[in-house]
Amino acid sequence: MKQILLLLTVALMAAACNDSEKKKSIKIGSVQISEESEKQTPLQASMERGGMVYTDFCMQCHLANGKGVPGNFPPLAGSNWLTEKRTESIHAVKFGQKGEIEVNGVTYNGVMVPMGLSDQEVADVMNYIMNNWGNKQETMVTEAEVAKIKE
Amino acid sequence: MKKLPLFGLLFMLIIGCNAPKKKDDVALTSTPQRGYTTQKVVNNLDNPWGMTWLPDGSMLITEKDGRLIHFNEGQKTEIQNVPKVYNRGQGGLLDIALHPNYQENGWLYITYASEEGEGSGGNTKLSRAKLNGDALVQIEDLYKATPNTTRGQHFGSRIEFDTDGFLYFTIGERGERDVNPQDITRDGGKVYRLHDDGSIPKSNPFVGTEGLDAIFTYGNRNPQGMALHPTTGELWIHEHGPKGGDEINILEKGANYGWPVISYGVNYSGTSFTDITEKEGMKQPIYYWTPSIAPCGMDFVTSDNYPDWKGHLLVGSLKFNYVELVKLEGTKVIDREKIAEDIGRVRNVKEAPDGYIYIAVEGDGIYKVVPN
Repeated sequence: MKQILLLLTVALMAAACNDSEKKKSIKIGSVQISEESEKQTPLQASMERGGMVYTDFCMQCHLANGKGVPGNFPPLAGSNWLTEKRTESIHAVKFGQKGEIEVNGVTYNGVMVPMGLSDQEVADVMNYIMNNWGNKQETMVTEAEVAKIKE
Repeated sequence: MKKLPLFGLLFMLIIGCNAPKKKDDVALTSTPQRGYTTQKVVNNLDNPWGMTWLPDGSMLITEKDGRLIHFNEGQKTEIQNVPKVYNRGQGGLLDIALHPNYQENGWLYITYASEEGEGSGGNTKLSRAKLNGDALVQIEDLYKATPNTTRGQHFGSRIEFDTDGFLYFTIGERGERDVNPQDITRDGGKVYRLHDDGSIPKSNPFVGTEGLDAIFTYGNRNPQGMALHPTTGELWIHEHGPKGGDEINILEKGANYGWPVISYGVNYSGTSFTDITEKEGMKQPIYYWTPSIAPCGMDFVTSDNYPDWKGHLLVGSLKFNYVELVKLEGTKVIDREKIAEDIGRVRNVKEAPDGYIYIAVEGDGIYKVVPN
């Protein structure tokens, strides 16, 4: 009986551990070219490219789980700034962000330097962060929308 | 008997699930009474990556976006004819250093991300030039890493001379963790050593082998700090780890620092990429930070202006907005103190020829540390 209990505990823990790892894991390195890529919607394709951009340019500070560092780098996961301030969000990714902003009731006063991304890359990474970690925004960001936003 | 492996598994799972933490670390302290103040000396800078001082005491400051600024008596002048930089991600105009005999020969050295050569994207380049009025002249290209890539991370790059006049500079692994750092036939994830004119010292470790002649050390991840030890003459670097495992290393000719075969860090996602932290033939850091502080800029305190700090090491923290005073006993870290707490994202920290410590902060400017 004890053994079964122990086994169960281990199994549960392994499951819990794996689960959280899986949720957190994001692709590192080359783009996965799947056979289903033909069936991808434009949003899915953009998000896939955006994941690469995220890995290269954003993850060091906002982390793989999009939670950022409390008090230091604002979260993207569940961020009210991202849902309520679409234009400002695109502007921040395109041109950088400086000065006070309030995200989920917490004031941040940091600096994000401009990354030098193309308009397409800005759109892709926006689509990635707006539709990941439980975030969901129906209206896709396009290259044209990014191009219209000026410094 | 069957229970034992099961218990072992349970134990491993518990360990595995925990966020990485360093055991028996030297505690980081904040001084309750500060014996110094910080004074802002340069305003309105975006990303002051490198800084150095000309013989007249004026400053040269690199901005990552490609501008080189001459700051003299409160006035900024933009230096013209700076080579075109590839300003993307962590790449741009990076470090600047004067030749040890600058007063005689006028050479200054810059590292920057460059699109030169085949393929889209960029990689780290070292050039030297002279200052004529407000422009760079006699620009000479000394080294350009290949291949170009659009990856946004890990360009390095700091420049430092040793007491024998050798020039050292760093290039990070350009986001190709599993390709570059352990391959001595490829650029990236290396510290390089050249003569001041860019030629290869015959005594470099891989001259006459298949390895690149300019390489001095390998297995490095992304060193953004380098300083000459004031008494031993050794070069010290620090390098960013991924999530955890930022390191301080002392350069040794031909040494392999192990990235990514050995590391005290894990992936940004929290998953691990290696199970080992040490291996024969790979150097151990003299200190590592877990969690990461994101170190940038590094210098030894040699000035009598800071008697309590003299002989110790300053390291900037991009992530936690302070400068860390790493107190040393030889090569052993015995204490760590937070100075200039909450100053902002520290891009660089250096002791100037005037004997004062200067701290460069992203999105802000440059501060001078003045003892009370």
